[in-house]
Order: sequence, then C-alpha cells, then structure tokens
Amino acid sequence: MPVSQVIINSIIRASELSLIALGLTLVYDLLKFANFAHTEYAVVGVYLAFIFNVTLGLNIFTAVLLSAIFTGLIALCIDRMVFRRMRDTGRVILMVTSFGLGIALRNIVRAIWGPTPRGYTIALQKPISFLGIRITPVQIWIIVTAVVFMVAFHLLLHRTKLGKAMRASSDNPALAQASGIATEGVILWVWFIATSFAAVGGILIALETYLLPHMGFAIIIPVFCATILGGIGNPYGAMLGALALGFAENFGLYLDFGNIINLWGFFDLAGEMHIPTGYRDAISFGILIVILLTKPAGILGRRG
Amino acid sequence: MIEYLAYLSIMTGIYGILSLSLNLQYGFTGLANFGHVAFFCLGAYTSTLIVVLAKGPFILGLLGGIIAAGLFGWLISIPTANLKEDYWAIVTLAAAEIVRLFFLNEDWIFGKGPYHGGAFGIGGIPRPLQSWFSATTYSFFYLCIVIFFLALTYFVIRLLTNSPFGRVLKAMREGDDLPLAMGKDVRKFRMRAMALGGGMGGLAGSLVAHFWSFIDPYQFMPIETFVVWAMVVVGGKGNNMGALVGAVIIQFFYISTRFLKDFIPIDAQVLASLRMVLIGVLIVLVMLFMKEGLLKEKKRVYQG
Amino acid sequence: MLKVVDVHKSFGGIMALDGVSLDVERGSITGLIGPNGSGKTTLFNIISGYHPKDAGEIYLKGQRIDDLPPDAVARKGVGRTFQISQAPAKMTVLENMLLAPKDQMGEGLWNALFAKKRVLHQERHNVEKAVEFLNSVELIDLRNEYAGNLSGGQKKLLSLGRILMAEPEIILLDEPTAGVNPTLIKSLMRLIDDLRKGGKTFFFVEHNMKVISDICDKVYVLDFGKKIAEGTPREIQENEEVLEAYLSGSSKKWAQKAGIGS
Repeated sequence: MPVSQVIINSIIRASELSLIALGLTLVYDLLKFANFAHTEYAVVGVYLAFIFNVTLGLNIFTAVLLSAIFTGLIALCIDRMVFRRMRDTGRVILMVTSFGLGIALRNIVRAIWGPTPRGYTIALQKPISFLGIRITPVQIWIIVTAVVFMVAFHLLLHRTKLGKAMRASSDNPALAQASGIATEGVILWVWFIATSFAAVGGILIALETYLLPHMGFAIIIPVFCATILGGIGNPYGAMLGALALGFAENFGLYLDFGNIINLWGFFDLAGEMHIPTGYRDAISFGILIVILLTKPAGILGRRG
Repeated sequence: MIEYLAYLSIMTGIYGILSLSLNLQYGFTGLANFGHVAFFCLGAYTSTLIVVLAKGPFILGLLGGIIAAGLFGWLISIPTANLKEDYWAIVTLAAAEIVRLFFLNEDWIFGKGPYHGGAFGIGGIPRPLQSWFSATTYSFFYLCIVIFFLALTYFVIRLLTNSPFGRVLKAMREGDDLPLAMGKDVRKFRMRAMALGGGMGGLAGSLVAHFWSFIDPYQFMPIETFVVWAMVVVGGKGNNMGALVGAVIIQFFYISTRFLKDFIPIDAQVLASLRMVLIGVLIVLVMLFMKEGLLKEKKRVYQG
Repeated sequence: MLKVVDVHKSFGGIMALDGVSLDVERGSITGLIGPNGSGKTTLFNIISGYHPKDAGEIYLKGQRIDDLPPDAVARKGVGRTFQISQAPAKMTVLENMLLAPKDQMGEGLWNALFAKKRVLHQERHNVEKAVEFLNSVELIDLRNEYAGNLSGGQKKLLSLGRILMAEPEIILLDEPTAGVNPTLIKSLMRLIDDLRKGGKTFFFVEHNMKVISDICDKVYVLDFGKKIAEGTPREIQENEEVLEAYLSGSSKKWAQKAGIGS
C-alpha cells in the first residue's frame, strides 16, 4: 500500500470521527459530563437514515438531513425527560445515567433491526484511481461532508448570536445567565447540534462500511480519545484530535515497526513487525494513556 | 427444576461477588470503574490457563485468577490515580476492551488446535472434584463453594469498610483535597481499592470459568460491566448488603424475562435486546428517582 | 517555626506572588491580611503543597518542605483548614474527627484485616480524644450527625477540631471567621488563644480586622503579591502604605470599616 493511500485513509477516518467527537466535546463543555450515550445517538441517526433511505426510498442526501434533524429532536426529548432534572447532579451519576441511556438506545435499535449488518441504498461504488490511490465517490463525499459541517460549525460559533451565547455560556455560565442569555435555550441547541452531528458522523461510517447496532460502541474509545487528545471541551481540539487519531490509527497499523527498530541501529534484529489489525483500538487506548499521563489538558487545552 | 435453581443461585452468588467488589470501588471510594468486566475476564482466563495448560489444581487456579486481576487493577490505577472521574471512566472502559481484545486475538496461549482459543474459546475446563459427585448433585456442591467465597468476600469487605482504611476511602469519595490535608496518600489508597476490587472480580471470574467449563471472549463484553453497575446502583451504593440485594434483584429480573418468551410470541433475539433496554432504563430511572438505591448507606456510629 | 523565603508564583501572565518572605514564630498567632487578590490563599496553597511554586524556599523547623505533595506536607506537621469548610457530607462528625490522626494502624490493609484488636485499641483512644474536643466546643450532641447537615459555623468548629486531632506543628487557618456569627467568633478566638497558651502555633488569613487586632502577635500585609508591611496589629493600622493599598475603590470601604487610617 503506498503511503498516499494511508494518508487518504487517515483523512477519511478522521472525517468520520470528527463530527462525532465535536458533538461529544460540545456537550461536555456545556453540561460538564462525559456523555457515554453520545455514540449511541450516532447509531440512532444511522438507523433513522436507514428508515428514510431504504424503507421509505428517499435519496441518501435527504435521508441524512432528515435523520440528523430527527436525532436532534430525540435528544431534546431525552434531555427534557432525563437530563433536565439532573442539572446539578454530580458527574459520576450523570455518566452512569448516560451509560444506562446508551444501553437502552442501542438495544432498542437492536430489537427493531436485529444484529445482522445492513446497507444503505446507494449507487454501486466504483473506485477512482489517481496518484497511486484508490478512492470511491462515497469516500470523497465523506471527506467533503465532514469539512462542510465543520466549517458550518465554525461559522455558527463565531458569526451567529447562538454561537456567541454558546461561547459565553461555556466560559462563564453564571455570568451568562445573569446577562440574560437563556442558558436552558443554549443547552437545548447544543444537544441538537451535538447529536445531529453525531448522527451525520455515524452515517458517514455506515456509508463506508455497514450498519450494525454495535457500531456505536465500536467507536466510543476512538471518539473519546480524539476528544481528550484535542482538549476536552474545545471544539477545535476535537477536530484536531480526530485528525491526529485518524493518522495514528492508520499509520499505526501500516508502519513496519521491525524496519524502524532496525533503522535505529539494531540491525536485522527484528523481522517484519506490524501491529495486528485486531488491536486497532489499542492504538487509541495507548495514545489516550500517554496523553492523560503527560498532558491531560490535551493539545489545545480548554478553550479560553 | 431444582438443578436449575442451583444454577441460578450459583450465578447470583458469582454476580454477588462482582457486585460487592464494584461497590467497594464505586460505592465506597467513588471510583467510576466502567471496565469492571476486565477483572472478571482476567480471573477466568488466568484460572483456565493454570488449570488447563499447567494442569494445576483448582485452588491454584483461583489464586492465580485473583492475583492476575488484582495486579491488573493495581497497574491500571498507577497512571490514572490522579485523574478526574470522567477520564477514569473512559480509561477503565478502554482497558477492559484491550484485555478482551487480547484474549480474542492471542489464541496461541492456550495451545494449538482447531476451534481452540481466541474467538472459539476454551472448553473442557475441569471442574474441581467432578468425579466425586453425580452430574445432578454436582451443582449443589459447587453452590457450596460459591457461597463460601461469597461469604468470605462479604466479610472481608465489611471488615475493611468499617476500618480506618475504609474511612479514608469514604473521605476520598468527595474530593481529594481533604484527605490530602489529613496526610493521607490518596493515590496509594486508590490503587489498593482497585487491587482489592480487582482481585475479588478475579475470584468471581475463576469461579465462573470452572463452573461453565467453557469460556470465550464474548462472555466478557462491556455489557457485563453495566449489568454489575445496575446491581450496585439498584441495591444501594455504599451498602454491602445492598450490593447483594441488587445482584438478586437484577438476576431475578433477567430470569423472569426469560420466561416471558413462553407467554409472548417474541423472537429470542429481540427478547434479549429488550431485556437490555429495560436494564438501561432501570439504571436511568434509579439515577433519576432513587440515587441512593434501595438500601441506603449505613451511618457509622461509634460507641462512647 | 515556619520560614517562607522569597517565594514567586505566577499563573499565566499574572504574578500572584512576587518575592514574598515571612517568618512565623513558634507559639505565636500570626496574621496575613491584604486586599482581595493579593495572593494570600495562593501562599497558603503553596505552603501546604497544593500548588507548586515557581521559585523560593519554605522551611518548617529548619527543614525544607517546598515541592512536597500536600499529604507529605501534612504529615510533616503543617495542618490547614480551607476557606470553604471541607467536610465529607456523607461522613459523621465523629468520623470526620477520626480521619485526622496520623499513623493510624488501621489504615494499612494488613492491619485492618489481621490486627483487629490493636486497631480497635487505637480507635478507642482516638474516639476519646475526639469526644474531649467535641465536648469543649459543644458539638458533642452532633457527633453522629452527618457533616453535611451542619451549619456553616459548626463546620468551621469541626474543621478546627479535626486538624487538631492530627497534632500539627503549625496550623494554617484560611479565613476562619468568614460567615461565622459574632458570638461564635468570640468562642473560636478564645479556643485559639487557649491552644496557643498550650504551645500551638497559628498562621491565619483574615479579613476581620477586629479579630486580627485582638489576637495576633504579628501581622503581615500583602498587596499584589508583595509584602508591603509587617508588625504588630497596632503598627499595621497606623502604616501609611497599608492605608494606600486599600485606598482604591471598594478596598477603601473595607479599610474604613476595619478602622485603618482612622
């Protein structure tokens, strides 16, 4: 595999993770707890898109949009029913609650659609070759979608009133509330944005692979890792973290560590040594541990 | 029928040990350990290794399981001892997954052979003193073994939580600042709580491996951690009897929903998923309305 | 007893402590005052090990204690209370008191499991000590009450009693009278004075100038992280520089209320 392919794969993976990580970090920043149900919202979005695209026959773009909106709405309902009553609760209890919620969401999906893998109805993917890399149209769309959404988010954060309110509420909630910024309103918007982004992110993954109820849990470690890596609570950190992780995972699996060891002077001591693909998660985990040991604040630290 | 009851009691007893050990870590020390299943897994696999591969006796297997799991608990707390609860939760979650991945990928540990090790699991784990009893009465014998260890675990934990050691753990629950000001090395205590809870989880794992006579990585999925969390949370965190009560309640709940299948025409897969949905919802409801659980923590009253 | 030499500390771009040096004599009651943001609590946190410093040295009875973690500093004999009383809400008053003594055998795993008799013996001894103190401050009836249910003033008393259980060499009190009603303040001060007569050393941060002038032997004044004055309470109250430090806006009212420059 040429290096350029690994780079492309890294970017694709980063794109898939970025929107989900962004959502996670937004919720953490505003509500101050790690939402373990976050990746399950992505799963909800994935299967909602299935309903729109496969069951109802709408085209995939419409399905994505509708799914994002509905996922956001579901998150709002859940906030009203559950988290709103827990605004002052300790973070451990909130985490445990979000656990339970995550289990419930995932298994509702599993109960309805079963554990067999599903697929969206999209055109047959013929890979395009250039510069030594092969990429399918869907993969190009994945990258484009992620970039578009991230740019849109940036514009939202800095050019809109809502964005200003979000930044104020995150920096100083008490002050924000006192100055008349309706914090509850901001919370609702953040849930909507975070979970709809997660839904889109999840759909991007499903587009490239397939739909499985388990897919939320499959990405929870990388997503958390990306978020913490970039600095939890910092949206740009989440994007950066996703990028770093995408590269780390793909290069981590690609690199022949035997070669590297040999280069360092232990000539011919090591044969070909690769990290087995079964340990892909171990790469995120390893990075997570290193970051938490050295700089728990992450690369960019907390914003502001 | 009677034998089925014996089987149920054995499983409840084993989960009781798990519940007690998680309660020690979360209920008494405030550690949000989301990777508890790692201890269960390590205990089971280590014990199996010792008994199947090294042909050691059951007791040695048990001991090995306890030590391996305890050691893991201790090790995982070294880099994380000073982290906040949310980071803790994700690190322990990731660590447990890595342990499971290890046993999933490294099938060579258990010797060569088709359908052996890795995803296929290990079978033929010898049960202690199997030959002494008939097939039907063996379950009762094993039940006695489990009850013995359950009682042992209960008394050890009760002793510790009522001692000055337990007092420091309880102080750590609400923040490090105070116990540090009292001259307590909080890191050391956290590591001990993890090692202790880990060792007990390992005990449960060893017991289950020798009972089922077969283990595979799919028995140690993260959902197991959540089930034990449900037990601790429902039964009453910080209350040892509560941990046991929680184990009984959740087990009962599991069993009763299994019988539903005979009355309601639902596919077994769907039923399994719905059961999980209810567990998740149960956790959320308990967190919303009954944060303390059924049995509240007992107040420590001194004479004089 | 406690010697602080040229301590510097900055947070980001802000210089919280700019070369502060002071001495606390054994058996004295020494005060630390200054406008908000002058670095008092930062200094306390550095002395007790909760924040690392950028430069300087701190000596306790001639031994260096800077750069030690908070629990090590506590074990060396530095006791402290917090501005907002820290008391684990889910532990009773008595449990809180029993948390403090040093060298408790029962905190070790082996002892807790296998040396029950000796552990119990030590516990009983500690309970007696705790009860003695609780009696003296009339908290004895609340001994089995959860600390979370105490009033602010009661929590302050508990904090003081608790740190005394650890038999520290020096006691750092962070605003011991904040939020406490005047009658309680009187008994608190009497308690501290009695303890001083018994040989204990106190160093505290305070805003209540009456308390400072009533009880302190020596006072240090900080402003913008620098020591701007030291001396007896009387000397401080007549100090020009101290008055200047408080002349800005709200601090002026503070100073007037405290009777500085009158």
